Amino acid sequence: MSAPSRPPVRVDNALGLLPDLEAMAPLRALLVSISRPDERALWSSSGPYLTLGKRGVQPEELATRLAEAVRQVTEHLQVLYQAYVEALEAQQRGEGGEVVAALLRGGRLEEVAGRLLQARAWYDVALRVSEALPSRRPEAESLGALGQLSLALGQYGEGARHFQRSLALAEAEFDQARAIAACEGLGQATLAGAEWQGAQAWFARGLRLAEASGDRRFLGRLEWRLGVLARRQGDLGGAVEHLRKARDWLEAADAPDEMARVLGVQGELDLTLGRHVAAAVAYREALAWAQRAPRDVAVELSIRLRIADLQLETGRLLEAEEEMRRTEQVAIAGNRPAGLVQVYTLMGKLRGRQHDETGFVFFEQALELCRTLEPSAAAEAPVCLEYGLFQERLGHREEARAYLERAQQLFAAQGETVERARAEAELRTLSA
Amino acid sequence: MRVLVVAGDTAAGVLPNLRQWASDAALELEAAPDLPRAVRRLATERWDIVVAVLGEHTDDDLSWWADALRGAMGAPRLVGATANPSMGTVLRAEKLGVLDLLALPLRKEAFLGALRRARSVDAEAAIPLPAVEQHAVGPYALVGQSPAMLEVYKLMARLAPSGATVLIQGESGTGKEVVARAIHQGGPHATGRFVAVNCAAIPENLLESELFGHEKGAFTGAVTRKIGRFEQAGGGTLFLDEVADMSLALQAKILRAVQEREIERVGGAETIAVDVGLIAATNRDLKEAIGQGRFREDLYYRLAVVTIRLPTLAERGDDLVLLAAFFVRQFAERYGKHIHAISDRALDLLRDHPWVGNVRELRNVIERAVIVATDDTLRAEHLPDELRGEEAKLGDGPPHQLVTLAELEARHIARVLAHSNGQIGVAAEILGIHRNTLTRKMKEYGL
Repeated sequence: MSAPSRPPVRVDNALGLLPDLEAMAPLRALLVSISRPDERALWSSSGPYLTLGKRGVQPEELATRLAEAVRQVTEHLQVLYQAYVEALEAQQRGEGGEVVAALLRGGRLEEVAGRLLQARAWYDVALRVSEALPSRRPEAESLGALGQLSLALGQYGEGARHFQRSLALAEAEFDQARAIAACEGLGQATLAGAEWQGAQAWFARGLRLAEASGDRRFLGRLEWRLGVLARRQGDLGGAVEHLRKARDWLEAADAPDEMARVLGVQGELDLTLGRHVAAAVAYREALAWAQRAPRDVAVELSIRLRIADLQLETGRLLEAEEEMRRTEQVAIAGNRPAGLVQVYTLMGKLRGRQHDETGFVFFEQALELCRTLEPSAAAEAPVCLEYGLFQERLGHREEARAYLERAQQLFAAQGETVERARAEAELRTLSA
Repeated sequence: MRVLVVAGDTAAGVLPNLRQWASDAALELEAAPDLPRAVRRLATERWDIVVAVLGEHTDDDLSWWADALRGAMGAPRLVGATANPSMGTVLRAEKLGVLDLLALPLRKEAFLGALRRARSVDAEAAIPLPAVEQHAVGPYALVGQSPAMLEVYKLMARLAPSGATVLIQGESGTGKEVVARAIHQGGPHATGRFVAVNCAAIPENLLESELFGHEKGAFTGAVTRKIGRFEQAGGGTLFLDEVADMSLALQAKILRAVQEREIERVGGAETIAVDVGLIAATNRDLKEAIGQGRFREDLYYRLAVVTIRLPTLAERGDDLVLLAAFFVRQFAERYGKHIHAISDRALDLLRDHPWVGNVRELRNVIERAVIVATDDTLRAEHLPDELRGEEAKLGDGPPHQLVTLAELEARHIARVLAHSNGQIGVAAEILGIHRNTLTRKMKEYGL
């Protein structure tokens, strides 16, 4: 007979025992990914409020899976070290371009693992090396990688500077692909600052270059960006047309990951146009394309969140909650705390719709998770905005004001013009 | 019957055979090259069966297909085809509500067998919803006439007027809050508010301020003064749900509030008198928790002045049918549907389900079913995948579907693992075998 098993340790208690060290990050990820909800809690009255902190983890299960985590860490280090050795060998052969290519490979591996600051260290070295080379192409490529990374970190001004230099070098070297990518990056950075005309000019310039080169993937990507821009500007007809072209190009280019992203935006547009059924179909198709693409948890999460949000907006609360729970599981298994923050924010929003005061537990869990993220303010701001709206819905005006003001400050600090304006509008409504 | 076959380039060889067999069986069969293109067709046309050739990662593919079919017109059933069938995959398919999982290369008899099963599912007889007597409790209702529930009603009728502190015990989803609300309605605090606090839902560090309130600035995040639930319930009833989940420190504070009938807000110096009726509930064995030092004995005796034990759904016999009918009517009204009947097969599935979550789970299942129902009868196809996956176990299959002892063992292990939420220690305990033996068997059966 088996010895009686002890109850699992709650995740919040388990994480409380884990020192905040980089070396422990993979263990933290493993711990979270193997955590499970307590079977008894699932159907209990606290079940609907279950969050990561209340899941359980068995120390013995963690122990048996340590080897797996160590293997993953070793594999990651091995490919990083290999990239460095390849850079070194290229240096020995006097092939500067290959040195840069190997260093950029190392950075991309870190980026894929979600270690953005570590990726930057690789790209910085690549840039330094490339600046001393006779060809400007490696430098343009290094700058492009740094530009993309800056966008991912929400550092749009810095990203724009990298892309500007990358574009100038790429054009001087007649590197069409790099120049198109730089135009796209500049458009994204400008778009984030709500400078519509600037973004339009950059995307249009990239599109002209892509038309000249006949690159279907770039054509699709730039039509998609123009579609997003048109939607933001309220030109819904223009957005419909750009997204249609984007889908045609990307399907022809057999780019499933980008098809998934475009269909995600298409669904949002359909929603804006009040076409709820079409939005649902677009999201389901997006999910199907995501399945065909190399596994990217971030893409899957963004689509599932949109599906849940659509169901929430259309009053299908039960289905919304089920989709949110599926999304939560994807985020936990894929170690995506930022995604988890979005899931819990949406769950809190759902409880607000139901006038359920206990829904505040989701916002508290989301804020708790934000503290582990980098940059935390970027993740915290949308949580505070929704927390404020939740409190407002329940008639707690003072709490609502406090959270909306916090959101407004955080958005302002990041230069997030559109969202800051939204927080300010909500504050004005509250005061009226 | 319309069949959509989804086979990529690598599996394109299955199509000619399927076309031939479909033609022999007078079926309409069409093909889509991959999942995204299939999703487009599923969104715009009605299909009865989707035959999907699954890839190398069979389990993942099954999950993606389950997602794809959620948005499909007419709730088509999935038949998976895989070159790597394993017991684990079969069980996963069953859990996801897959109609059948076939091995590649496909055999005609297996394919036609899957279609026969789909057709047998179509043959359902409608049974009119029975009349249900209910006792309304705010937005809820007490439903049921089983002997176990009649005992509960009698006890409630006797104790409600007394205003005594009550402890309600019962498994998750048995209706503890509904009973608490009914006691409040029939008691001396009925004119006051009924305030419910779920002690397990609220993080430990926030529960104290939720119960007793706090003064502005008492801690980070205390942006304004907050009135706690004890004060909110003044003159009414405070319902402490899942009371066993509180820390011992908080239990001491609750004990003081119950004994002295006064509280202090967090960060406040003022003592505030509170006049509340108190009802507590738990799904745990509090006496066992006392024995383990996790619950205060003195608090237990303060709360358990009168104890009501609620029966599980399994102990309530045909109350299941009454509850199902009640929920069908409730949700049909909410979602603007006109449902007057439930099919015999749907009822069989409901009766056959273990209902770990009791009435709450039943309510959830019926709500989902009502949302997807399109005409006046709630049928098996409207029930969630987990229940439909159990169709295979209903036992009217031909003799060749009798399973081997190993398969039976594997299925039982899988169910116990699902019940214990994958916790090997717990599952081993239930199965009465050593955990090492269980681990070996899991590997052997690919679970």
